[in-house]
Amino acid sequence: MPDWGHASDFDDVRGQFAIAGIGETAYTKASGRTAREIGIEAAERAIADAGLEPTDIDGLTWSGAFPDFDVAAFREHFGTTHDMWTSPWGGGMAWAATAPYLAARAIRDGKATHVLNVFPVAWATQRSSMTGGPGEVHATQSLKQNLEVPFGWFPQPVYFATIMRRHMLEFGTTEEQFGAVAVSCRRHANLHPGAVMHDKKMSLDDYRAAVMLADPLRLFDSCLISDGGAAYVTTTTERARDLPQPPAVVLGVSEGFSDTGGHWAQQRAFTSTPQVFSAPRAFTMAGLTPSDVDVLTVYDPFTVVSLMQIEDMGFCPKGEVGAFVEGDTLHHDAGKLPFNTHGGLLSHAYVLGIAHVVECVKQLRGTAPAQVPNCEVAVYGGYTGHMASTLVLAQDR
Amino acid sequence: MAIRRDDFPLPDVDDPLTAPYFSGAARGELMITRCDACDRFVWYPDERCAQCGGELTWTPVSGDATLFSWAVVRRAFLPAFAERVPFVTALVAIDEDPAVRIPTYLVDAEPESLRADEPVRVTFRPLSFPTVPDKSVIVPMFERTR
Repeated sequence: MPDWGHASDFDDVRGQFAIAGIGETAYTKASGRTAREIGIEAAERAIADAGLEPTDIDGLTWSGAFPDFDVAAFREHFGTTHDMWTSPWGGGMAWAATAPYLAARAIRDGKATHVLNVFPVAWATQRSSMTGGPGEVHATQSLKQNLEVPFGWFPQPVYFATIMRRHMLEFGTTEEQFGAVAVSCRRHANLHPGAVMHDKKMSLDDYRAAVMLADPLRLFDSCLISDGGAAYVTTTTERARDLPQPPAVVLGVSEGFSDTGGHWAQQRAFTSTPQVFSAPRAFTMAGLTPSDVDVLTVYDPFTVVSLMQIEDMGFCPKGEVGAFVEGDTLHHDAGKLPFNTHGGLLSHAYVLGIAHVVECVKQLRGTAPAQVPNCEVAVYGGYTGHMASTLVLAQDR
Repeated sequence: MAIRRDDFPLPDVDDPLTAPYFSGAARGELMITRCDACDRFVWYPDERCAQCGGELTWTPVSGDATLFSWAVVRRAFLPAFAERVPFVTALVAIDEDPAVRIPTYLVDAEPESLRADEPVRVTFRPLSFPTVPDKSVIVPMFERTR
């Protein structure tokens, strides 16, 4: 194992917990709604999908980084007063994968029975008032503000253009190979009525013709900016079997970290992600290997983040992902590795990974718009710079 | 959460965490933080050495580096960059420790001719933005050596 990072030691929770309900809002461009309103709607729908009442929800995980929907919002909206176990280490991004683990721990410790994880975002609506759009949270950090922003190394598209360039230099990855990921995601979004880019086709030629934001990174290497949100309910597998929906069973969950700091510029393994440390743990817990996976969704703010995670999670040898993703490899119907079958952050909506987990659950239920035949195992790879996470879900057997 | 400083996106030369980087540039020295205890370069600057907890001291380095990676920025992500695009922003790895990467401008660089890991050398130049009138800061930029 490389020495630039580590994985957390998670308890083995294989098979004992499951996602029993999912809820989604509309995914849109600027909607004029607040993230809180979106979070409430996602929560309502997830609770209803699970066949539960708000009073049954006695645990809540939410995003401390984007605290738009928390226990106070839950209580105010649903008019409840019961005690709730809660953690701000849920929500989206990498934590969309690990929220079920937090829920598992709380349930096992007798602190909760049904745990709701919620993540809403309204960046499309808020965008015009942000400095550098979603880069704003970075621009406010002193080190970035003084050592990166003045030098034009800002915001995220520039970081990832630089990572993309280095991946091309080290491994010979080509623009067309990055394009293959974008085109596959768009193809899936075209099949998904809820995807922001549902009506917009994109060919590899369209990809090549797109405006260059920061060479070599084009517009279509880059995620959308969206409003929307989703939520899901985790409970024991046993309890989930009594609820209306087929359980999506948690077989493996893990998280890994880079030890070389929180700044992209200083990552020692510049063209890798901490999936190197995370993914093997989740697969070990699950008793599975990457070849058992029927559908993979990964947090994909930029095409290069998809490519790096696919290789770091073990779906192909490091450095060979470019050739691996060419052609129809990532397609839902004919591909070797059906990938981001809802369209991902690139073409479905930029709701920071929560919809990726929902997509995994739908694939296991057999209700996804771009349904993978006989989908038994679905995996989400979460990412946020120096952290990555892995969630292995499976049909109940 | 908007940035309130009037001279953004110029660096805040009074920020104690990074001030020596800019005062060094003003006198023609490239300054990097190094741990007193374990002797490692520690970059970015921090309160303490993440490896051993030692105190960090700003230390001059040669200014010789290699071109680790770069992007040719074509879209102005901030209004301040509207007249600057397209430009080459790069990460350069210092010769003393290639794990230390400096975000910087490559000056007078023809993007098509850049090569991975080619040698570059520091040059201290004034940085200014049309959105911040009558103010400039001397910063480390880099130029090709061949």
